[in-house]
Amino acid sequence: MVEVKSLSVKYNDIEALSKISFKINAGDYIGIVGPNGSGKTTLVKALLGLIPFTGKIIFQSENFSESDLRRHIGYLPQKMSFLDQRFPATAKEIVVSGMYCRKKFPRRLTDKDYIAAEAIMKTLGIANLKSRSIGRLSGGQQQRVLLARALVHSPSVLILDEPTVALDPQSRETFYDTVQKLNKEKQVTVLLVSHDIASVGKYASKLLYLDREIIFYGTFDEFCKSPKMSEYFGTSQHLICHRH
Amino acid sequence: MFRKAAIISLFIFFLAAASLMAKSAQDKKKLEVVTTLFSTYDFAKQIGKDKVNVTLLLPPGVESHTFEPRPADIVRISKADVFIYTGKYMEPWVEDMLKGVPNKNLLVVDASKGVELMSEEDHDEDAGHEEDEHHEGDTDEHHRHHEGAHHHHGGKDPHIWLDLGNDQIMVQTIADAFIKKDPSEKDFYLKNADEYNARLRQLDAKFKETFSGCHHKTIIYGGHFAFGYFAKRYGLKYVSPYEGFSPNAEPTPKAIAELIEKLKASGTKYVYYEELLSPKVARVIASETGAKLELLHGAHNVSKDELGRGITFIEIMENNLKKLEIGLECK
Amino acid sequence: MDIFQQIHEAIKYLFVQRAIIAGCFMALGCSSLGVFLVLRRFSLIGDGLAHVSFATVAIGLLLRAQPMVVSIPLVALASFFILKLNEKAAVYGDAAIGLVSSFGIAIGIIIASTAGGFNVDLFSYLFGNILSVSNFEVWMTVVISLAVVLIVWLFYHDLFAITFDEEYAQVSGIKVRLVNRILILLTSLIVVLGIKIVGTMLVSSLIILPAISALQVVRSFRSTIILAGVFAVVSVVAGIFISYFLNLPSGATIVMINFIFFVGSFLYGRNRG
Repeated sequence: MVEVKSLSVKYNDIEALSKISFKINAGDYIGIVGPNGSGKTTLVKALLGLIPFTGKIIFQSENFSESDLRRHIGYLPQKMSFLDQRFPATAKEIVVSGMYCRKKFPRRLTDKDYIAAEAIMKTLGIANLKSRSIGRLSGGQQQRVLLARALVHSPSVLILDEPTVALDPQSRETFYDTVQKLNKEKQVTVLLVSHDIASVGKYASKLLYLDREIIFYGTFDEFCKSPKMSEYFGTSQHLICHRH
Repeated sequence: MFRKAAIISLFIFFLAAASLMAKSAQDKKKLEVVTTLFSTYDFAKQIGKDKVNVTLLLPPGVESHTFEPRPADIVRISKADVFIYTGKYMEPWVEDMLKGVPNKNLLVVDASKGVELMSEEDHDEDAGHEEDEHHEGDTDEHHRHHEGAHHHHGGKDPHIWLDLGNDQIMVQTIADAFIKKDPSEKDFYLKNADEYNARLRQLDAKFKETFSGCHHKTIIYGGHFAFGYFAKRYGLKYVSPYEGFSPNAEPTPKAIAELIEKLKASGTKYVYYEELLSPKVARVIASETGAKLELLHGAHNVSKDELGRGITFIEIMENNLKKLEIGLECK
Repeated sequence: MDIFQQIHEAIKYLFVQRAIIAGCFMALGCSSLGVFLVLRRFSLIGDGLAHVSFATVAIGLLLRAQPMVVSIPLVALASFFILKLNEKAAVYGDAAIGLVSSFGIAIGIIIASTAGGFNVDLFSYLFGNILSVSNFEVWMTVVISLAVVLIVWLFYHDLFAITFDEEYAQVSGIKVRLVNRILILLTSLIVVLGIKIVGTMLVSSLIILPAISALQVVRSFRSTIILAGVFAVVSVVAGIFISYFLNLPSGATIVMINFIFFVGSFLYGRNRG
């Protein structure tokens, strides 16, 4: 469904990503893991067209144009400080803003858009929050609102960048369950970036281990059985795999 | 882009400094005089002629009431022989500044010495502010009007130079100062002072004669309250919408409305505006009443063009006379 | 004399009518931009660009040109520079404004000192007063404010997206750089005009205060913008009349009323929890 060919990203002569090539099939749930600074977020930004790169990204066997990409991808960014306490918007306004990628200038929202927003919020169990101000929601609730924003335009690919960093364990569980449901029941292809291999391994169908280049790409089982990975990780590999 | 701008700015700065130094190097033998107002600047020039080098502290076009001396100005003052200012009400910054000037040879002249200063109440009693007799409404309203619109806080009116009688005193004060500093030229300074004062007296007589037979007696002014002494001297009434004696405060809507009503009541067809400042308030009054605009120059400072063509104080006052003659419909 | 009689007395003056019309439209123009500017930490852009105006008007007078003709493009340029500092040099909005603002004032002072004087007092030319608005200025204010409001309306969703999450807006295909430039350009336009017509204090206050008051009553984004507009317009109308009745300067009275609105909103917002 998506093929990444020889993707490289350079920041000031430093190669953040080096000749990344892999394929994503429809319905995959891929965990993108690796140490800090390994280029996970860089890969995400390249896939989203936020930063320049060399190489190719082929989407559904056609060279995509930017507008196609936007329509088919949903993005949940690493939660940043933009969610400051006082931002004056209702959850509904935030969610429906996910529809902007389908619009051309001048962007006007229709009733259909609002209906879609309500629907996705219902699916994610946050329908009761629609008129609440985003700044006053809990961390977990805010995360769900942003997830709804990512999903409201019915993308076929969902990219999540370290989505559970700021969540408590309970909320984390809930979140992963939700994403799992989307992957299994709605056939949404998931790319989830995390530094927590063990957690990701539980749900993901494939692991993409990055360290500026692809160190490993395969299933979690393959990861645990791989001698190359034993070499790479040493004893910690057992720790990770044992949990599973 | 930032670099370029910074370099250009520095370059301009050095150019200005250099030209300043060049000029002051020239006239060594003359008496170095620094004044703070255009009127005293002109007086000093007329009295000292080629024996003095007079500098006006105010750059052309700058409003005098908000002027603050820059370091170069303070240096200039400290290097001068004579420094003439117009009293502590006009230039309150002088007293403090002088504490920091080390030059013991500097003769500081307060040109307002010997001149009787008036406060706002004095102006009110005489011809200054007109009590609003035409206003509709009860006495409460009237009382509030007087308190609200015209109450000042006990300052003195610093605009002494617009009274030609005061000017003669000031001229004498300046002449005395020059003589003290340069006794060898005593006769020269006295002669010039006397000649100039004679011209002032002549002008004064002309003013008195013109204003004795005017159809209207009220000057409607859109500028700040500068002509108090002037109006008193010739028995005229004078109204301005500004509180206090400087153009810094904003006029209130009621003050503007009052001025409009006064103009309508007095029947004059002219409203006057002041020099150098944008004549906004005068324009408002003109548009509301159909009155015409005319300049009444307060001689605080002059524009670059005026300075360039060598305008004099007497010329300014003569122009004022002409304009008032028209507006007040005299003779 | 009851209040209706007093209003009637005041409003029969043309200058009061012009003040109200120009003031209301200026309020709409400023407040519609204000919410976006405040949220992005560009609150002091009104003051900052006023300082730049000082330099640009000095340049204009020096070149014996119509100062406005010189001022508007130069101020727009300065505002783009502020934006660039924000984007490239990662300088926060308020610091970028401070940098450009100080630079503007310094240049202005140098020019004023070395120009050998002007024909008019620089400050008086620069700073307007709501009570002395001319007919032409009323028209200008109406036209330009309507243009500003219209453009904000057209770009409402883009501006909302960028203000909330600039990165996500980019992903959504919104031309972030272009919209930022449009926002800052509209701001320069209304600030330069506003300074000349109603004065710096009022322009800056109408940008910041109604927005901050509306933000206290946080509900939806849409309602915040509308509420800011309402606060701004009401403060102008009330301010002009109250300053008339109490014999106070109008500009300062309008600012005071805005402050009262802020206090009220704050208390209301706090009680809602």
